[in-house]
Amino acid sequence: MSMEVVVFACQQAVPEPEAVKSLWRGGEVRLRVLPEPCSSKIEAFQLLRTLATPVDLVWVISCEEHICRYDEGSHRAGGRMAYTKKYLAEIGLEPARVGRSVLTPGDKSALAAIVAEISGRVQALGSSPLRQAPKAAARRSAK
Amino acid sequence: MPAKYHIHVRSVPPRFSPLAKNTIIDWAEGCLRCARCVKEQCPVDAYRKRGFDRSQFVDTIDQLCRDCYRCVQGCPRELIFKASNPQYSRIGNEYWTPEILAATWYQAESGKIPVSGAGYGGPFSGPGFDSFWTDMSEIVRPTRDGIHGREYISTSVDVGRKPMFLTFDSDGELTWPSPPLLELPLPILLAAPSLGANPGNIQDIITHAALELGTLAIVARERLTAIPKKTASLVMPSYTAGSLDLNDPLLAQVRIMEVLDHPGVLEQMEMVKKRYPDLIISVKVPADGGVVDRVAELTAAGAEAVHVYASEEARGLGESQGMHLKDLIRRCHLKLVENKLRDTVTLLVSGGIALAEHVAKAIICGADAIIADLPLLLALECRLCRQCTKGGKCPVEIDTLTVRRGAQRMVNLVGAWNNQLLEIMGAMGMREVRRLRGEVGRAMFIEDLEKEIFAPLFANREGELTKREPT
Ligand code: SF4
Ligand code: SF4
Repeated sequence: MSMEVVVFACQQAVPEPEAVKSLWRGGEVRLRVLPEPCSSKIEAFQLLRTLATPVDLVWVISCEEHICRYDEGSHRAGGRMAYTKKYLAEIGLEPARVGRSVLTPGDKSALAAIVAEISGRVQALGSSPLRQAPKAAARRSAK
Repeated sequence: MPAKYHIHVRSVPPRFSPLAKNTIIDWAEGCLRCARCVKEQCPVDAYRKRGFDRSQFVDTIDQLCRDCYRCVQGCPRELIFKASNPQYSRIGNEYWTPEILAATWYQAESGKIPVSGAGYGGPFSGPGFDSFWTDMSEIVRPTRDGIHGREYISTSVDVGRKPMFLTFDSDGELTWPSPPLLELPLPILLAAPSLGANPGNIQDIITHAALELGTLAIVARERLTAIPKKTASLVMPSYTAGSLDLNDPLLAQVRIMEVLDHPGVLEQMEMVKKRYPDLIISVKVPADGGVVDRVAELTAAGAEAVHVYASEEARGLGESQGMHLKDLIRRCHLKLVENKLRDTVTLLVSGGIALAEHVAKAIICGADAIIADLPLLLALECRLCRQCTKGGKCPVEIDTLTVRRGAQRMVNLVGAWNNQLLEIMGAMGMREVRRLRGEVGRAMFIEDLEKEIFAPLFANREGELTKREPT
């Protein structure tokens, strides 16, 4: 079964979403990169709903907290990620299926390392268990 | 008087949430739990109605929000922001801007004219079609039909050759048969765009929409299989030099055809005419360096219609790349006027006609009618991502769109365009789109304004500094 990764990328941290795609070495795994005005745009419900689509891994790329254009945006994105992971653990899903990295804009090697980490993570996790029971999972996440 | 032409628009909601220009950033954490939260006071109830679009992984609040900023300004902890949506600003390209795409989607959904209530915030003028304005001095005395119940404004145009004079015999009968002429109810023809997922389906949608609108659908001959009788009268098959075969059964079915220009086109035209005298032949000419002379030459040789096609960005082709379509149309038109042949031929133009105002402006420059292509694809929710040209998956699944649904969205778009054309003509005090052709006297060009109005006002006297020197 083909796998899919969705990356929500702060446009300050990743001004060129195509760059992530060009660094992608995930083989058959489909990658979608969605530019966002700030990583704090992504709320916990959006992370969970995206995961329930189902997608095999959801990732958020933020700026380093001290350079966030929205001051607290990156910090808040971190808080949401922690909340989402806790929630996933509570409902019995792997918290590792969501992740976040921080980046200094323009740091190409750090971006390459992040892309490699995403690709390694999805390979290690394999296909989402929600793919086996997508309807039940979607029902659960809709509640 | 003939029945009034009316386009039946009907709301067709998009299958995929259109990308919104602005997006809400809702921090939520740190909320004071006010007795009356600003989110409950949203005039469109966006916070309660928001959902999640599974195909695009987006929060649908941005499609619901009307940008009133009430929630942004009202939250005492300043936890809500609005920011430009980078997913929106990345769609399209420099010419086919996100604003053009969004306006097209809106018109295709609603059939209504997009109105912005917050005034115009754009530049005074721009390149191409933005470098001139229509004279709306009659706006105080609108002749617009429908809403005001005043005079009827006709948008009908003729396609075909018009004789410059008639001769009669002693019995008062015409001495030669009048050439075939096709009257279209609006100056907009439809054509299949050069891209799009599942071109066969798109072509069916276009043909269906043309039937609904009573206009012509230009379709490449090789894409056409057997066509039903009722559709045949509105299909204009497009041939290349090599694909035109006199024994093609389609030639006996259709009323008009198009052939790509080539050195032997005149002889080919003559042969077709001999066999199918009632068939109107249009020659498709590239808007390159030789277009003006070629249009004049073909007209002088008896062409009934000429279709000048420019690039997707309304630029000329080849040596004419630096020229805008409007200037090329103008040159062709003036050359025909100079040769006293303008009224004999129908000048159709295509390439970069992206907005309703471009229809009126192309006609003012001298076209009889325009051919819409790419906007028709945009009407189907296309994002202009060009994945379909690379064998990729269409993000808005145009390949699976039903003909009925797609055709109604195209009808809505053309309905909105035609309404805007009526508004423009009403405000110009014109009642006939035929009279708008070449009417540059009713338009103001930036280069003329700069020369005649602004230069005397702002010209510097000799030796005068243009900017104040820093002290
Ligand atoms: S900006 Fe206005 S319309 Fe948009 S969500 Fe806030 S209150 Fe509602
Ligand atoms: S959305 Fe993209 S893939 Fe689909 S028709 Fe338009 S350009 Fe082609």
